[in-house]
Amino acid sequence: MTELLAKEAQDEKWGMVIDLDICSGCQACVTACSMENNIPFVGEDEMAYGRGMQWMRIRRYWEGEYPEVTPDHQPMLCQQCGSAPCEPVCPVFATLHSEVEKINLQVYNRCIGTRYCANNCPYHARTFNWFDYEIPAPMNSYLNPDVTVRRRGVMEKCTFCVQRIVKGRQQASAEGREIEDGDVTPACAQACPTDAITFGNLSDPESRVSKMVRSDRAYKELENLGTEPRVTYLKGGKSYGG
Amino acid sequence: MTEKISRRDFLKISGIGVTAATVITGCGPSSRYVTRQAYANMPEYNQTGVSTYYATTCKECPAGCGLIVRTQEGRAIKVEGNPGHPVNKGKVCSRGLTSVQGVYNPDRITGPQKRARSSRTTTAMEWQSAINTVAEGLKNPQKTAFLLGLQSDHLYDLVQEISEKGGFTKPVRYGTLGTLEGRSTLLKATQELYSYDQIPFFDIGNADIVFSFGANFLETWLSPLAYSRGFRQLRKQPFGKRGYIVSFEARQSLSSANADEWIPITPGSEGQVALAIGKIAATKAGVPTPAMFAEVNLNDVSQISGISMEKLLQLGELFGSENKAIALPGGSALTTKNGLDAGKAIMALNVLVENTSQPGGIFPTFGENHTSDFAAVNALIAKMNTGELDTLFIHGTNPVFELPASAGFQAALKKVKTVISFSTFEDETVVESDYVFPDHAALESFGYQRVLLGSDREAYSSIQPVVAPIHDTKATADVLLAAILSISGKLASGIQYTDEVDFLQKTITPLIEKKGFYSAEELPTFWSKWLQFGGWWKTTPELSSSEVDINLDQELSFSTPQSAKEGETFHLVSYATQMGDGSGANRPWLQETPDPMTTVTWNSWVEIHPKTAEQLGIHDDDIVEVKSSNSDFSVEAIVYLYPAIRPDTVAIPFGQGHTALGRFAEGRGCNPAIVWSTDVNQAGDLALSDTTVTLKPTGKRRPLARQESKEGVYGEH
Repeated sequence: MTELLAKEAQDEKWGMVIDLDICSGCQACVTACSMENNIPFVGEDEMAYGRGMQWMRIRRYWEGEYPEVTPDHQPMLCQQCGSAPCEPVCPVFATLHSEVEKINLQVYNRCIGTRYCANNCPYHARTFNWFDYEIPAPMNSYLNPDVTVRRRGVMEKCTFCVQRIVKGRQQASAEGREIEDGDVTPACAQACPTDAITFGNLSDPESRVSKMVRSDRAYKELENLGTEPRVTYLKGGKSYGG
Repeated sequence: MTEKISRRDFLKISGIGVTAATVITGCGPSSRYVTRQAYANMPEYNQTGVSTYYATTCKECPAGCGLIVRTQEGRAIKVEGNPGHPVNKGKVCSRGLTSVQGVYNPDRITGPQKRARSSRTTTAMEWQSAINTVAEGLKNPQKTAFLLGLQSDHLYDLVQEISEKGGFTKPVRYGTLGTLEGRSTLLKATQELYSYDQIPFFDIGNADIVFSFGANFLETWLSPLAYSRGFRQLRKQPFGKRGYIVSFEARQSLSSANADEWIPITPGSEGQVALAIGKIAATKAGVPTPAMFAEVNLNDVSQISGISMEKLLQLGELFGSENKAIALPGGSALTTKNGLDAGKAIMALNVLVENTSQPGGIFPTFGENHTSDFAAVNALIAKMNTGELDTLFIHGTNPVFELPASAGFQAALKKVKTVISFSTFEDETVVESDYVFPDHAALESFGYQRVLLGSDREAYSSIQPVVAPIHDTKATADVLLAAILSISGKLASGIQYTDEVDFLQKTITPLIEKKGFYSAEELPTFWSKWLQFGGWWKTTPELSSSEVDINLDQELSFSTPQSAKEGETFHLVSYATQMGDGSGANRPWLQETPDPMTTVTWNSWVEIHPKTAEQLGIHDDDIVEVKSSNSDFSVEAIVYLYPAIRPDTVAIPFGQGHTALGRFAEGRGCNPAIVWSTDVNQAGDLALSDTTVTLKPTGKRRPLARQESKEGVYGEH
């Protein structure tokens, strides 16, 4: 069993592809992520101070002038960089690269809240618990038992739903097989009404994500910084193919 | 133990224990009822530490999407889509995702209450006396009325049956989502043009060209998840083909933002634009121009709508080209005084390109759709005002919040002797009621949704409790049936159901004979599959392909849309958001999920074009008074400078502005329904898109909590 787990783990390199041509910008992924990952709601004032805790946000930029004006929606989340600017600046190794999933992990009980990592993240993907946020009873009943509830002073960010990756690996292992494409779906991809988000193993050349990454529409955000993002966007916009 | 417990006390205590242990949940797939038991003695499918998943139906809007809810140790953890369900195929929107915050909301009503009107003083009641109170109302059919919401068809079907057998007037069924999309007008236009009585299914996924006249199909229109899937399919056609969307509306919605072309037309001119497009398209396609389109003057239409002649010709020719085209009649086209004729003109475009029952065209859906128009609500208000009504039952809708203030519902409510609400939350209507007998929350209840506007086949979606009720609530169907049982007479002999589950089982029994994707020998097996799969539907899409011969010879008449006086009055666009009919405002994660277009959270706003704002000397985050031109009603709203709206139009989202509904909803934003015009169109729908307003700065300011500025809007901190 352990050998099987270790062997599968060697082959894992998780990645995501977001097709901007069909992303409608509806925010269902944002809500899904928040409900899955026990993200606290902070209220109007804290939102206005820019302290919202959403791990995922839809960037909306207006383009053009009336009447040819249109918003450009782009989901932004932790890019799980292969060469992550957040990692070397952490003095306590609270943010580090996982050997198994090849994603960036945040170890909550190591984090001392220096916020260096957030300052160094070019994607603004990290959120900080400025306070202990109240989830009034009995609302705490829906908290996901697979995800740690974070306290004040701790940095957090998208984990690619690592709890679902682990469950998918265990499930495959219990069935005595290799982990397959489609075994793991993070909450955002699962909810997405237009199926614009695809998730899978980039080290498997036959996986859906690997095929999509080879698309001529593919690009990575701020690629020139050398961060090696694991999230690939497919160019959209109304001009494509029309 | 120092306290003495007598035998009598001991029996009392154990009695409570037994009641708590036998709360009816019905979670189990193969049993009708499951008793609630101690964790130490869980049923085998509910192991500690292992999640159990239950199929049910979303009750947050009338679309009826199938859900799979993850539960653990008897708690609802996460809502996911049901991959097998024909409406949403495994997908779920923000509203559905937050329904667990409805179950576990700290502001729920925890048991039956007697209330003092217009105040928050309540006295707790026993369910037995609650049932007696309901029975009193049911004894007098002439003086009792039902007002129901759009959700859960099973309750409507039961009340409908009670009304028929007991001699009550037909229940009124009202919800703002239906009003904003002009549901009654769409139904009537379809009835008058086609031969069927259902709202059609628009197969945009297989079309090449979609002309949307104000249909916000990615947000709330009819069945947003089914149409979002259609949108994907349209964009990702075989061989790299990509469908083209043109959207006509005064304010750019999320659906228009995803269209290829957004045409900001004068509100109220949609019908004439459709006629002009029909005329040009007929010429382009080389077919004889139907009489309906022949009379229209293209120059006039260009002037009224504000679309240049060149653009109009280009769009008309696009629609009449050899591609598969489809036209969608949305809310902003239908909820005007011209609404019915506009609906017919837009549907006539579909007739012109002969897409009826064709892939990429329109199809009849299944199940009769009972939605009351605003005229029926007006009739109810008139009846209330005469003082003839002794009892009014309200379930699933919040009329004090949802109806225009000038409709006078709140004043009329005062003339009704007994107002009984079945709401789960203390909403604006509950505050004005005498009693509230709370129904279970959506994820705690039984039922079905029969009208599934996003389904391409005949389907029923089943609702079952995924968790045991956490409060002392009771299913409204059970309350009504228990009350009927307690009164003898015609009604009791006509209604023979022992409880809600009995009613559901008897209603779905005929489905066993129909060929669905599973079959069963007898009802108990059918019932367990019904709960397990989340409903019943046909195996393959079954869209009727009957030949229809539709006459396009009728003439339509349009009054010229009321034009806004430059710089003085403005057209008001009201649109639905993720708050739905307003009941979503008490879900904190719906409040904190940013609006897709403005990124504003926890508040509402009035959208004004930056140029207009500049002329009026209004700035971002200023508070303005938005006053109706036809009445004395006004609301105060915070300004959001919105670049994608006509300069003569302003827009306010619907759903905020609550004065009740709990800590997360109260005192946020404004309710545009207050200023809506109460005129009705030819189909009896509210002509709310005809509302015009004036703007007046108040000198006050309040920053909106937007996400578009990552640094925040409160400045240095």
